[in-house]
Amino acid sequence: MLPTERLSYSPILERPALKLPGGARMVVWVIVNVEEWDPTEPMPRTVITPPAGGSPSPDIPNWAWHEYGNRVGFWRLVEVFDALGIPAVLAINGCAIAAYPPIVEAALVRRWEFIGHGFTQRSMQKAADERDDIRRTATAIAAATGRRPRGWLGPGLTETWETPDLLIEEGYEYVCDWVLDDQPVWLRTRGGGIVNLPYTQECNDVAMMLIQHHKAAEYYDRAIDQFEQIHGDAAGGARVMALVVHPYIMGAAHRTKYFRRALEVIRSRSDVLFWTGEQIFDWYVAAAPAAQTAT
Amino acid sequence: MANHMLPRERCDYSAIVDRPPLKLPDGARLVFWTIVNFEVWDIGRAMARQVLPAPTGQPLLPDVPNWSWHEYGMRVGAWRFFQLFSQLGIRPTLATNARVCEDYPRVAGQALRDGWEFMGHAYDQLPIHACGDQAAMIGRALDILERFTGQRPRGWLGPGLTQTLETPELLASAGIKYIGDWVYDDEPTVIRTANGPLVTLPYTVELNDIPMMIVQHHQSDYLLRRTIDQFDRLYQEGKDRAKIVALAIHPYISGQPHRIKYLEQIYEYVNRFEGVLHWNGLQILDWYLASRTDSAIEVAA
Repeated sequence: MLPTERLSYSPILERPALKLPGGARMVVWVIVNVEEWDPTEPMPRTVITPPAGGSPSPDIPNWAWHEYGNRVGFWRLVEVFDALGIPAVLAINGCAIAAYPPIVEAALVRRWEFIGHGFTQRSMQKAADERDDIRRTATAIAAATGRRPRGWLGPGLTETWETPDLLIEEGYEYVCDWVLDDQPVWLRTRGGGIVNLPYTQECNDVAMMLIQHHKAAEYYDRAIDQFEQIHGDAAGGARVMALVVHPYIMGAAHRTKYFRRALEVIRSRSDVLFWTGEQIFDWYVAAAPAAQTAT
Repeated sequence: MANHMLPRERCDYSAIVDRPPLKLPDGARLVFWTIVNFEVWDIGRAMARQVLPAPTGQPLLPDVPNWSWHEYGMRVGAWRFFQLFSQLGIRPTLATNARVCEDYPRVAGQALRDGWEFMGHAYDQLPIHACGDQAAMIGRALDILERFTGQRPRGWLGPGLTQTLETPELLASAGIKYIGDWVYDDEPTVIRTANGPLVTLPYTVELNDIPMMIVQHHQSDYLLRRTIDQFDRLYQEGKDRAKIVALAIHPYISGQPHRIKYLEQIYEYVNRFEGVLHWNGLQILDWYLASRTDSAIEVAA
């Protein structure tokens, strides 16, 4: 299906206002992405290019730079979530479950939500068998956590035309790849509706630090600008804001404080809920059942 | 290539929080490791980096504007470094193409007189994948540095940190003890090679003027800001666990007149703190090997 067949265009101001419990105006959810980079493949992102360019393989320096996130940076992020009492959502490659058991354990004991993030960190359009990739990811997460993942984020938000259909058929309930709204939306699939939650490429350290090359402080500045605007907008109905971090980027020693400060400011507001993806999903499904909206 | 170990076979995944902390002598919290990089850019080849691509982006050979830009570092920028470090009494690690000793003996000789540590950094500035006989290149580079300095280097950094899967074996058999190519931890680690272990020291692609200024195009003063942020965090963590701040600089980048003052201000800042050791790579290696009690100690030989 084309995107326009999965959902109809809808201006946000013309929908019935969504209401959150306890008079909260908005939800913030924070997604930590944990990946395993295969040293025999081209690296998904790079910080240093080889002398005179090109892309010689193996690319050990950029592999090592990413691995730093899982050996060191992740633990700085954990400290932030612990100190502020905020739940995280762990979007994790299926293969990373076996590669980084201490990370899985740390997320489990904190009751973070696990969502599927591809079996490996490669475009879904390159997966030899997309259904198998989606299924193996769910199996790996279920084996490690005792619960099947309810949510899915494509590696780099990538999808094929069929991805939402495969996700619903494989038991996922929500997806995060469609950054087209401040509220959840229903997408049609051949097996019924799937919810899309507002994820972000704007308040996302990959886009900001690695593509656009902003200073670390821009993560804080942009998060607060985004927050203030959405908080104001939410007078007309509940809205959702996402913040995205990767251990190898915001877990670098010189960046973590900007992430922490953004969360500190937002948490100081009493009318903001920090929820996991499945909390947003459950609330939205109750507030806007598929039958009313997905036609 | 199929016969060589993958990174994960050289060293298991380890979460830093699961390791016993390393401790520095006399209650020091942090090592500040300065690495200066000297290179030779062969005018007969594509330049290692470009500040100014040719109009319409055409490849340029010879690439005189970018060759000259790098050459400025050896003619002018390096002397700002020598002045700064001699004033401060800091003796950095010099990661140097061996060919610097042939093409720029005046510059290499100054580093030697100033007591800098010479670290192997290939013969000249090509990705290591592109040198035909890697073992011969490594041997040649180390021989040249040994002849020039009287000491065989114990440290190695690939050009642009590049390695093939066989590089660690070749380095270990050439007598190298530590490498800077694996920027995957805050602490030194030991990796396996078929020819004995190698130590990885936490070199950096974060506090490094190539990614920051040439790849990411940050403003000059961001080197100072980022280094302060990195230092503050690692100094705080250094209360419980020894930390290392590596800073990698190149004379054609940080030696520019508009950038040098930010480098100077970095040292003004960090030198206000107690418990900061300005060590070179060899000093870090020796401390790390003495701190370990297991079989890794055999690397020290």
